[in-house]
Amino acid sequence: MKAKTLTARNVAAKTAAALLLLIVILFFCTLTGSHPVSLKNALSGDEGQGHNIDYEIIFGSRLPRVLLAAIVGAALACAGVTLQAILRNPLADPYILGISSGAGLGGALAIMLASVLGSWAGVSVGIFAFAGALGTVWLVWFIGHFATGRSSATSLLLAGVVVNAFFSALIMFLTQIAKSYQLREIWLWLMGSITEKNLAVIGASAIAVLLGLVGLFSIAQRLNVLTLGRAEAQGLGVATARTNLIAFALAAFVTSVAVSLSGLIGFVGLIVPHGVRLIFGPDHRQLLPLSALCGAALLVIADTLARTVIAPAQLPVGIITAIAGGPFFLILLARYNRKVSWTK
Amino acid sequence: MTIHKITLRNILLAALVILVAAIVLIRICLHRSIHTTSPEVNSQSEPQRIVSLAPNITEILFELGLADKVIAVSNDCDWPPEALGKEKIGSFWQPSVEAVISCKPDLVITLWFQQQSNVADSLKRLGYKVLTLRLEKLDELAPAIEKIGAATGRSEEAERLLGDINAQIERVKQKYDNQTRPRVLWVVQPEPLRVAGSNTFITELLELAGAQNAISLTSIQYPGLSTEELLTCRADVIIQAAMNKDTIEQQRREAVEFWSKYKNLPAVRNNRIYVVDPDTILRLGPRIGLGLEQIGRIIHEP
Repeated sequence: MKAKTLTARNVAAKTAAALLLLIVILFFCTLTGSHPVSLKNALSGDEGQGHNIDYEIIFGSRLPRVLLAAIVGAALACAGVTLQAILRNPLADPYILGISSGAGLGGALAIMLASVLGSWAGVSVGIFAFAGALGTVWLVWFIGHFATGRSSATSLLLAGVVVNAFFSALIMFLTQIAKSYQLREIWLWLMGSITEKNLAVIGASAIAVLLGLVGLFSIAQRLNVLTLGRAEAQGLGVATARTNLIAFALAAFVTSVAVSLSGLIGFVGLIVPHGVRLIFGPDHRQLLPLSALCGAALLVIADTLARTVIAPAQLPVGIITAIAGGPFFLILLARYNRKVSWTK
Repeated sequence: MTIHKITLRNILLAALVILVAAIVLIRICLHRSIHTTSPEVNSQSEPQRIVSLAPNITEILFELGLADKVIAVSNDCDWPPEALGKEKIGSFWQPSVEAVISCKPDLVITLWFQQQSNVADSLKRLGYKVLTLRLEKLDELAPAIEKIGAATGRSEEAERLLGDINAQIERVKQKYDNQTRPRVLWVVQPEPLRVAGSNTFITELLELAGAQNAISLTSIQYPGLSTEELLTCRADVIIQAAMNKDTIEQQRREAVEFWSKYKNLPAVRNNRIYVVDPDTILRLGPRIGLGLEQIGRIIHEP
């Protein structure tokens, strides 16, 4: 172990620095947009609809979006870290076990049933996607764990691939029978984008994601041991099956929340964990909090770009994360010639 | 490797508390804004600053004589030409809430689908007056025009416009009613081949124009056709939607060449292959009557 000893103070300092950076980024991204606004004016408060445009733009449009991007980014990054650890696979991302196709199927169904759902149509996409994501994860866990009779990362991955392929086929089928405008709705939703949501939704999902993340932080040490391998972990006294289950359930939960808020935003859950690991090392006790903060920052910046580069038109944020994330990741790889790995 | 769990936990706890506090604070802020604004403010007087999020809504607004009250439109609103000069609020598919707010609208008109109703919800939360319309089928056009008329104080103009559109449709219907109904294959995209199925808005238009869809019942809206089905559909006329309205003549030449391999189709033998601009013909707005007349002429008066 060549890495420096990790002390609590060290972790706290890095986390605090990252948190501060995130707050600065949140602040500046809230002030950035297609229309110039004055913060002073905005802070003078609401003066009735249409009177204080600055207030409405900042508190009604930008802040909800920025907060939502932060929540989704943190959730995806931490889910990526966790899945890479329990599957012991550097290619794992939050969507690897079929969550994307399950959520996609739920979202597509909700869009197609919109006329049946009536006034619930607005929220139903999120609810259906959440249910689809959790249902799929359960199915994958069930197939991977019980149907194959052994609990290895490989059988989970295989179950994920099969379920993914099956649900993707169902989505393709749905797009065939969809009306042309529904097709475009589904397609845009699948690409992932951050939209303004009401504060109750943002608050509830922030609490849900935070609880999930705190849960993951509390098993960080056990995740460290898990990455050594199953036999070694058991030798060190870690109940691998139980830890796996807890980690898997928490990662699936936060990913499902993220997906139901924003559709399928790719790359964040893959790049951020690797980036943080390359720079700070693979100890999950700091990897998890730092990934959460960096994931939040990355998605907030990406969404700010998405809503400003071709303003007033907007891009799906998934395009930005993929275009910016890929090269950024390569630069990191080149600069730090430590091996990209998921173990310590 | 000396890390004190409790310290880490404390940090996380602190972070949690800060975040929750921040959320609560913002919630209180916005809560106030939701309750102090009254959406009723403008409902008495006619709206003076209208924002339209869709091309067909823009066309209706201009037809109702509201050209100078329309402040902003979507990037896709290209008709009438004056609409091009209006402020833009983003694309039809992803309108920007921020851009809408900065226009200080007193009425925002949106369509009903997911991406636009998201924007409508955000604006409603801020107290803006929003009219959301369903406009996907021919029989939804009349109620939509009436609602726009009522919301803008132009109910009489709306009735007149509806009268004109209905008269145009009726005229086309009468004119081609007693003729044989040619079979029309409506091509949405040539490669890979996608055509309009039977349960589409296009079939409705074809039937009004005294023709029939060459494709019989399909559950899929815009099916791809196998060569076998294509050869047996006995299309008398092939109408292809243009991909780009500037190169229609060139696209027609390409279409004629593309279809020349299906010699046994009556449409190919008789050179009845047309390329049309789908925006003017199919946009579900005030020009639908004109579009229908054009379809009728193409089919019956080659």
